[in-house]
Amino acid sequence: MRGVHVGLAVLILAVILVAWFEPRPALEDFDPVRHAAFKDTWNKRVHLSYWEKWGSFEADACQKMVDTFNESQDEIFVHYLRTSQVDRKSMLAAIGRDPPDVVGLWNFNVVPFAEGGALMPLDDLMKASGLTRDFYIENYLKLGEFEGRIWALPTAAMTLALFYNKEHFRRKAQELRAAGLDPDRAPQTIEELDRYADVLNAFEPDGSPRIMGFLPTEPGWYNHVWGYFFGGRLVDPATGKITTDEPANIRAYAWIKHYAEAYGREKLLRFKSGFGTFDSPFNAFIEGKVSMEVQGVWFPMFIRRHRPQMEFGVAPFPCAEGVPGPRSLMEMDVIGIPRHCKHPKEAWRFVCWVQKEGLAILGRLQGKNIATRSAPPWFHQGHPNLELDVFEMLAVAPASFIIPNTLVGQELRDEMTRAFEHIWNWPIEQEGKDRLAGLSGAERKAMIETLCREEVQQTLAEVRREIQRKLDAKIERRRLQKSSAD
Amino acid sequence: MANLRRQVAGYGFILPWLVALALFIGYPFVAGFYFSFCDYPPLRSPAFIGLDNYAELLGDAKFHRSLGVTLVYAAVAIPLGVVLAITLAMFLNARIRGQSFYRVIFYIPHLVPTVVVAILWLWIFNPEFGLLNIVLAGLMSAADAWTGLFFGLGAETPGQGFFRPAAVALLAAPALAAVALGPIMPAAVRRRPALRRLLASLAVAAILLAAVALLNAVVHGLLPVDAKKLHSPGWLADGNPLPADLSFAPSWALWALIVMSMWGVGQMAIIYLAKLQDVPVDLYEAADIDGANWLQKTWQITLPMISPVILFNVVMSIIGTFQVFTEPYIMTAGGPEDKTRFVALFVYDYTFQYQRVGYASAVAWVLFVMIVVLTILAFRISQKRVYYAGR
Repeated sequence: MRGVHVGLAVLILAVILVAWFEPRPALEDFDPVRHAAFKDTWNKRVHLSYWEKWGSFEADACQKMVDTFNESQDEIFVHYLRTSQVDRKSMLAAIGRDPPDVVGLWNFNVVPFAEGGALMPLDDLMKASGLTRDFYIENYLKLGEFEGRIWALPTAAMTLALFYNKEHFRRKAQELRAAGLDPDRAPQTIEELDRYADVLNAFEPDGSPRIMGFLPTEPGWYNHVWGYFFGGRLVDPATGKITTDEPANIRAYAWIKHYAEAYGREKLLRFKSGFGTFDSPFNAFIEGKVSMEVQGVWFPMFIRRHRPQMEFGVAPFPCAEGVPGPRSLMEMDVIGIPRHCKHPKEAWRFVCWVQKEGLAILGRLQGKNIATRSAPPWFHQGHPNLELDVFEMLAVAPASFIIPNTLVGQELRDEMTRAFEHIWNWPIEQEGKDRLAGLSGAERKAMIETLCREEVQQTLAEVRREIQRKLDAKIERRRLQKSSAD
Repeated sequence: MANLRRQVAGYGFILPWLVALALFIGYPFVAGFYFSFCDYPPLRSPAFIGLDNYAELLGDAKFHRSLGVTLVYAAVAIPLGVVLAITLAMFLNARIRGQSFYRVIFYIPHLVPTVVVAILWLWIFNPEFGLLNIVLAGLMSAADAWTGLFFGLGAETPGQGFFRPAAVALLAAPALAAVALGPIMPAAVRRRPALRRLLASLAVAAILLAAVALLNAVVHGLLPVDAKKLHSPGWLADGNPLPADLSFAPSWALWALIVMSMWGVGQMAIIYLAKLQDVPVDLYEAADIDGANWLQKTWQITLPMISPVILFNVVMSIIGTFQVFTEPYIMTAGGPEDKTRFVALFVYDYTFQYQRVGYASAVAWVLFVMIVVLTILAFRISQKRVYYAGR
């Protein structure tokens, strides 16, 4: 028995010793294959860890950008570490006081990271490096701001537009003309969008959809912003108050509801369940199940990847009549320097280079627009996104919008998505259905919107109350914390 | 001295486990309690705010929805799981051929990782291509055909008549199965000529199908919306309640998770089975002498004898139900309309999405207290009903 005890103790000790003395992998480890070109300068360089998202060709683009930086000088070597759920992992690393030197996040991460003190403010560094506000398109820069300071700078910029399937338009050209619509262009107002959609719809003999002209639930990522295309806002930029139930938003979500009721929620639900994932040939738009869809600047690259011959067009997403346009939601991926990182000075050198030179490389290879006011001449030559001009125009359009950074940005987005789902699924009472019977076209649409207006108003008001309550509480707690810190 | 050395050795061996317990369970448990009284964005130090988090919970509609989802799920899934597991265990306990094989088959699902199970069921529940809806559509159309045949209600499509291949298949299948499975019938039946057996089987199948037709007609009459949906439900994508007229009823999405939770019922059944095989045979023999039938034996002997295991499984189910996380996280992300946002998912969201560790800790503690209260309740209620042979 004694022998067993001693044996086990020795074994445990051996495991501990091996674990302790085993050399851990480090950024500075030289890989003779991957780092061959940097052999001579390897030990002289400061090695930075850069946690960033992306997959497939977008990751290759980011790697190319980093490689270009590494080749451009011999003092710093940036290691691009592809990281899924980069925001959560970065946050845990920040809590553990062992963050990367540079981190790539989404714009909606800026407030929680900045508020929690996980990022370094960049204003002074920008000033010292000659990066001024007018270097950027203003809205993009604002997405990296919180409480008057800049905490993160752009990497990949985004605007949204309407994608339309030209093959579908051509196939239904005659019907479109008969309806007084031009088959050679995209709809220019929401009202026109509905009319185009009506003509482009195709159904199976049992009434279930085969092709939907337009489906507001696709792709489902922007269900919180429909109100902006009707002139509404989620947050009042002047007062910071939540305004989810202002009349334009109510109008927008009543319009959404008309799609659910006109074609049947159950049928649409089954139809939608047959769609493939975004990055696949079975994407609803790429496969031709949906004729018109709102999507971002990245989408042409994915379409051409999966169906190179597809004929599609891109146009600004239409606004309701009387609402100034063109307009688009503007969002972006951001790059920042975590507080307590090991090499802040070198990290800034990299971030600054990314802003001045890297953005164009990344945008060009990822097929996107960039967040700066001007681009180098080579940026547009042979740019793989043939529809780039639409997205660039939207990025500087005066009516394009951002959702202002608030302390409850994520909660607001989630609650609006829930409100969207509720409005979409909410069943109209039998009495209402009786009133709809026999109506068609514009009359039916108007009646659906009338019938659901009260429910829409209540749902959006509930979101406003709930989110405003949370925002007020957070502001108050932040005030108390600041005053106790002072 | 020898005793002391033995003690030191003993504690030495359990020390790693004790240290891990204290570090990874004990510390978070105590720290979580303290954090629940703090405003604690994970990137800053916790600031004490008293009972504010608990007060906020009272008025938080999202939390109320989450709690509602969890309680409704528990109220349906726990009893359903227990009944199904006991039934399964009783079948496995029967003296049939290939008993070990069936036991293994029913236990295997428990060995599959939850993430894999969730992804598998995502496909099964797909409204358009899912296996479940394909089977359900066939069954419902057969049931409709039979309802039409018996009650003249099913012929919704003009000109289709009464001849429905699905209905015929439904009639033929059990009859053929009955003939094929002749050997498992009682000897008295088996001795009869095959033709008479076939006719008898057909008669039994026709009666069963008439019952199906009647049930289908009743469902159509009482719950027309749900009966219509049952032909091809939206499952995980449908946030509407079932039955449609009961707003507090589980949504179709929640029903899907409840159905899916039955996947792991085999493990519970194996535990019941172990206890069932422990029930003394002489009790059944005595009951046979007294002329007790199967139901009486089950109610008066089997269930009381396995009641300690039922209590154990109920308590474990209560704990497990309040910790459901992986399935909704992967399959629905809490949607549609928060109808599958279990409290565990709520805690996760508030920690990682909204960075409110203090608030999430308060919810976790409320959850803990609820589990403790429900467990005590289960013990109290069962005090007079659980039979321990050793006492």
